[in-house]
Amino acid sequence: MFLALKEIRHEKLRYGLIIGMILLISYLVYVLSGLAYGLAQQNTQAIDSWQAQSVALDKDANVSLSQSLITADTADKMTLKRSQAYLGQAGVVAKASQRPNLSAQFLGLQPQQFISRNLTLTAGHKARNDRQIVADTAFQQQGYKLGDRVTLNSVDGKYTIVGFTKNAKLSVAPVVYGTLGAWRTLRGVTPAFKASAVVSQRAHQAVPSPLKTYSTQTFINKLPGYSAQNTTFTFMIGFLMIIAVVVIAVFLYILTMQKLPNYAVLRAQGIPSKFLVSTTLSQAFILVVGGLVLGALLTVATMRILPLGVPISFNLPLLAGVTGGILLTGILGALIPVKLILKVDPVTVIGG
Amino acid sequence: MPALALQHVNKFFGQGTSRVQVLNDVNFATQPGELSLVLGPSGSGKSTFLTIAGGIQTPTDGRVTVDGQALASMAAKDRDKLRLHQIGFILQAHNLVPYLTVRDQFALVDRVKPQGNLSPVALHQLLDELGIAPIVDQYPGNLSGGQSQRVAIARALYQDPAIILADEPTAALDSDRVKVVGRILQQLAQDHHKAVVVVTHDLRLREFADHVYQLMDGQLTLEA
Ligand SMILES: Nc1ncnc2c1ncn2[C@@H]1O[C@H](COP(=O)(O)OP(=O)(O)OP(=O)(O)O)[C@@H](O)[C@H]1O
Ligand SMILES: [Mg+2]
Repeated sequence: MFLALKEIRHEKLRYGLIIGMILLISYLVYVLSGLAYGLAQQNTQAIDSWQAQSVALDKDANVSLSQSLITADTADKMTLKRSQAYLGQAGVVAKASQRPNLSAQFLGLQPQQFISRNLTLTAGHKARNDRQIVADTAFQQQGYKLGDRVTLNSVDGKYTIVGFTKNAKLSVAPVVYGTLGAWRTLRGVTPAFKASAVVSQRAHQAVPSPLKTYSTQTFINKLPGYSAQNTTFTFMIGFLMIIAVVVIAVFLYILTMQKLPNYAVLRAQGIPSKFLVSTTLSQAFILVVGGLVLGALLTVATMRILPLGVPISFNLPLLAGVTGGILLTGILGALIPVKLILKVDPVTVIGG
Repeated sequence: MPALALQHVNKFFGQGTSRVQVLNDVNFATQPGELSLVLGPSGSGKSTFLTIAGGIQTPTDGRVTVDGQALASMAAKDRDKLRLHQIGFILQAHNLVPYLTVRDQFALVDRVKPQGNLSPVALHQLLDELGIAPIVDQYPGNLSGGQSQRVAIARALYQDPAIILADEPTAALDSDRVKVVGRILQQLAQDHHKAVVVVTHDLRLREFADHVYQLMDGQLTLEA
């Protein structure tokens, strides 16, 4: 530590540049993983908020909510428990005077069933009839207000926003909660159909044919574009990490090369190579941690100034994973030139 | 038992036709309390002789012993320890660690060898004698050649080694400083019972030596 810190103090510019480089790399990784996680969340936020374990859909719907319909006949063969709820989905475009048009996911709920029961509002009340809706706060951010009268698709009549709820996103679109009656109108189906799906808080639910139960995870993975997005981001972050290893390793290698003459002097003095190796490693640790901390601060600052609509969010395991990855990367990079240090020959400094 | 001895030491560099012999059957021994001076022109093998004596380089053949212990039979780690605890090198290119102030050059030694170094009082006295007390907070980059040479001397002595090996310790110094350094080395031998070996072409150091050797074409001879 002693030598490591003294050297950083003396060579401020050189080490500043290296910390700056690690800062940029970690900043990029943080922001990218934050965006990836934010986007993933916008796919699933609504589902996550229900804390559901399984979803029953028509078995021929290819695990797609929008393809699934449950007939009233099928529904009659079931008695839903407290842990189960009907869900009707329809893609809608919301319009209101002096408000921007918004694409949204309409979700019809049965009052008193668990999704509706557990719905927490940030303002207003839940839908009490087929003409009332509760919208995600994204609507608020776009200027919509309680009491706004909204046209959904080209359906006759207006719907009134009577409440707002937070974190209601499905497939990267804000959710509008309403009744199953409204759903039927918006979906354009007769009362011969009951809903799109049965959602349950239990992993197992017994359902009659032609329904089939899927775990929430399977259901989420089959959301349109969800897996593809995640794969893309995972690969981007993965490649970035690999490039980070190489860049950091190259820098630390060059750095160590430049120090070898000094190390030779110290070796001539009898200072053990172990001491020099630990100096180099602790120095790499300081540089990487410094870069990470600054990168994290910059990320926080970026999140502050990003427009509200940009999905970026973090959770602890994600942050810990990214941070640990970069730290490990840096230490690995610093380990490569250790062989050079061990081989330093003090004779090289005996000037003639 | 001699503090340091070389017996029938040969050193060759290079291979085949470019093979040159730098040391030719060198025999040398020094006791604690003696200052030995090895004189020789540039390229005569002085640095080679000194680094072999201090275990930084190995001879092609022959034997080097410190306190009767053969360096060749020691593990590399033990040779490090020996250098750290028993041998003080004053290197010709008085290399100082560029990012440590003069004060920190000594602090670094404390880190690896917490015991057996000069006391703060003794260190201050040494720095005073060498005239470098006022520059303890400077980095080597800001020192003159003579100043950094004197710091290199102080650093080697700080470890309080039993054997002091100095390579051209006065090359960058004026006559007054040469006298100071000569006297310090002499005192180390006489008063502190160290074995001091100085290789140089600086004849001004002659008057401080107990024994004077000549190194010519790789052959070491003791002056009568
Ligand atoms: N590693 C080496 N490989 C090849 N030749 C070497 C090597 N080290 C020294 N020599 C040669 O050995 C000879 C003696 O070198 P040395 O450095 O011991 O001389 P010196 O007496 O210290 O000279 P100076 O007074 O200039 O410091 C020189 O001719 C030098 O070129
Ligand atoms: Mg020399």
